Amino acid sequence: MLEKTLIEKVLREALTTNADFAEVFIEDKFQTDATLLSSKIQGVNNSKEFGIGVRVGKGYQSVYGYTNSPLEKDLLKLAADLAQSFPGEPVGIEFSLEEMKVGNLHPVKILPSKVSIEDKDNLLRRADKAAREYSEEINQVQSRYQDYVQKVWIANSEGTYVQDTRVRTRLAIAAIAANDETKQTGFNGPGGHYGFEFYSDIINVEDSAKEASRIAVAMLHADECPSGKMPVVIDNEFGGVIFHEACGHSLEATSVAKGASVFTGKKGELIANPLVSAVDDGTIPNAWGSATYDDEGNLQKKRQLIKDGILTSYMIDKLNAIRMNDEPTHSGRRESYRYAPTSRMTNTYIDNGESTFDEIIESTKFGLYAKKMGGGSVNPITGDFNFSVSEGYMIRDGKIAEAVKGATLVGTGAETLLKVDMVGNNLATAQGMCGSLSGSIPTDVGQPTIRVSEITVGGRGGTI
Amino acid sequence: MNFDKLFKVASSKGIEDLQIYFIDSNEFEIGVFKNELENYTIANTQKLSVKGIYKGKMGTVTTEVLTDDVIDFLVDSVIASAIAIESEDEVFIYEGDKEYKKIEGIYNESLNNVTAKQKIADTYKLEELIKSKDERIKMVQVFYGDGSNHVRIRNSKGLNLEKLVNDGMMGAQVVANDGNDQRSAFEYTRSNDYSDFDLESLATLAAEKAVALLGATPCESGEYEILLTKEASSSLLAPHVSMFSAESVQKNVSLLKGKVGEVVGSSKISIVDDPFMKKSVRSGSFDDEGVATTYKELVKDGVLTGFMHNLKTAKKDGIKSTGNGFIGGGISPTNLYIKPGIFKYDEAVKSMKKGIIITDLAGTHSGANPISGDFSLQASGFLVENGKIGRPVALITVAGNYLDLLKDVTQVCDDLKFNFGYIGSPSLLIKSLMVSGL
Repeated sequence: MLEKTLIEKVLREALTTNADFAEVFIEDKFQTDATLLSSKIQGVNNSKEFGIGVRVGKGYQSVYGYTNSPLEKDLLKLAADLAQSFPGEPVGIEFSLEEMKVGNLHPVKILPSKVSIEDKDNLLRRADKAAREYSEEINQVQSRYQDYVQKVWIANSEGTYVQDTRVRTRLAIAAIAANDETKQTGFNGPGGHYGFEFYSDIINVEDSAKEASRIAVAMLHADECPSGKMPVVIDNEFGGVIFHEACGHSLEATSVAKGASVFTGKKGELIANPLVSAVDDGTIPNAWGSATYDDEGNLQKKRQLIKDGILTSYMIDKLNAIRMNDEPTHSGRRESYRYAPTSRMTNTYIDNGESTFDEIIESTKFGLYAKKMGGGSVNPITGDFNFSVSEGYMIRDGKIAEAVKGATLVGTGAETLLKVDMVGNNLATAQGMCGSLSGSIPTDVGQPTIRVSEITVGGRGGTI
Repeated sequence: MNFDKLFKVASSKGIEDLQIYFIDSNEFEIGVFKNELENYTIANTQKLSVKGIYKGKMGTVTTEVLTDDVIDFLVDSVIASAIAIESEDEVFIYEGDKEYKKIEGIYNESLNNVTAKQKIADTYKLEELIKSKDERIKMVQVFYGDGSNHVRIRNSKGLNLEKLVNDGMMGAQVVANDGNDQRSAFEYTRSNDYSDFDLESLATLAAEKAVALLGATPCESGEYEILLTKEASSSLLAPHVSMFSAESVQKNVSLLKGKVGEVVGSSKISIVDDPFMKKSVRSGSFDDEGVATTYKELVKDGVLTGFMHNLKTAKKDGIKSTGNGFIGGGISPTNLYIKPGIFKYDEAVKSMKKGIIITDLAGTHSGANPISGDFSLQASGFLVENGKIGRPVALITVAGNYLDLLKDVTQVCDDLKFNFGYIGSPSLLIKSLMVSGL
């Protein structure tokens, strides 16, 4: 998009003061969104995003600026303005940009731009039909189709120069079941680093839609969840959000480097039950959170965060690596050119253990079975977390009993990791959007079914 | 981009009416940590949103590439998008209102007149001040940011509107640790008048908040009388604002559907949407569809009076848009808040026999369901016994239903405060909520 010579010029302009690092991030993104409600296509929107971010740094300090303008004079002015933050003589950095070419490690078969809007809309119609046919109690279905092709060019004063193309698509279905008393929503939103082949080769559109309806109908007939402390069995797929929120964020350099995380300085120490091993892997072929390169131009990789309960690695970006005096783990990510990159998760999951799903349920006398998790949030300083359970059941005498709604799980990440006392063998992942300092990015969460010996459960069904 | 050319090409390709929304934004942001600048961001961006009617349907497209060579792409996208739409809703481009209110105080030069250097110096000073307040304060992250938006709307029916707004925010995330427990607090001021950033009072508030919760543990489960502070109340109101959107009503996902004229809250509760509020970037005399905005009490003395509309929902109901049509959100409030009462916060505390002051609610984006009104949220705050503030509590959940809560409000305090999204509330005294703890 920009000539290499212009990129080099901008980088050199950024180094005219005392700065020792400069980076240019160029993004050209084309996105299509389509929504369906009341069985009718409500809107289709194309959007073209284009912008350039310039980062200038010295040591672990950095400044950032961005603009939509590709004009040389605007970019040189931006670089010069940013360079003013580091007054002094140039440190004399020499570099030349050599493009690294490894090809796209997550190839797609059918580029979204080759598919007609009509074919995309048809997916929404199929999902709508299947969701409604599941039950007469489904009275509204809202679905959304999304695809994008994000092309990025990343160059820096260390000579890094890479181009990456991220193609992602997602179909999100929200089904509402209603009766005279209440309304309940079920959600399912599969996605991946795929083109349109995702909907023929990878998922079944009808099954995905029915899953949303199944949850809504199950919760329509659920009792209010009782409150109190109890064992909780958290199922696989989106159940992994508990690890993502309560532990993953505290292992990101953004909180570790400043000493703000409960896991600061704990490398090599036991922080979880030895049954727990956890991974952040940006290389899983075509996964939602995968890419060839991170957003600082380094090849993505697999990081073993926890091995048999012992903390083995944090997730670290370039600047925080300097601050922490540790190696970068190629974890720099950002939503768009509007954000400077920082350490973020990709596809993060608890690895398989040995228990079967049935063993876990059977060995639980009383507790909550959180089959589907909703969203949640965590305070990285205290580690306090909260999650909503979007589909839950009580476990009584080792059997899954009545459905319960409105449950919230509250606890702290560090404590919960130690209280995991069973880990299943049915690892599966699900897709989410993760919001943090560098914006909202696609991430996979995942785990096998696990049991936590005790979590505080909030609900309106009285105390246990 | 030559907009005249865009209108010309659109018309020649059969687009009946066209409207453009063009926004030019400037941003400045700094962050300070341990007496070092850890974030410094400057930006200038532009975005063009185009909508046009083709064969009776409204097509849309947005772009950040603003050269004339994307004009054909924009027009073709509007047509393709219009063709795909099946919704039978009548669509139109607005010819404009006779009058647009002249609003003062939504753009303030002071944010430009103060130099970046001064803003950075003040941010450093705020960090120092907070640290000096209490030795248990272990970490402070301070930030300042300001920005301006220049919005222009033009359409083929002759409408031509323009507005300029700006605002700034200064605040801090503070971590306190007493050796046994660690707590954090967040405090900020938002305004477009730089002289409103009072470092001393901001530092005092932030420091007090951070240490107050040290040693907090869960309390016994049960029903408690609740004092929701202004911050907790506005964060709980935010996810429920969609109830007041006519779009939610027409989609049959608003609990308030069919309740206009009915009592939906305590007679002490009035909920206002005020587009004319000073010092807010959400304010303006027109919405993103070019419709004149209006001041309205959506709830007046506990009675629901109506909903927020955009052009589409208003047409459906055969009424005039309330000027709440915004890009990206369909229908959004401007500055929406629970009207403050006259009760003093301290009086509210004194009036409580056995209850809990909730100062913070977490997870409102997932633990509150605006469709059912049910919420179950992680909370922290303080126990109150016989009018006296007792020990801090944390890791408890409070559960209830938002409409029930509005009905159970017994006192409304006079301390209105807005959150980032310009949703505001004073502190509210609530008859009771279910608390889950020990």
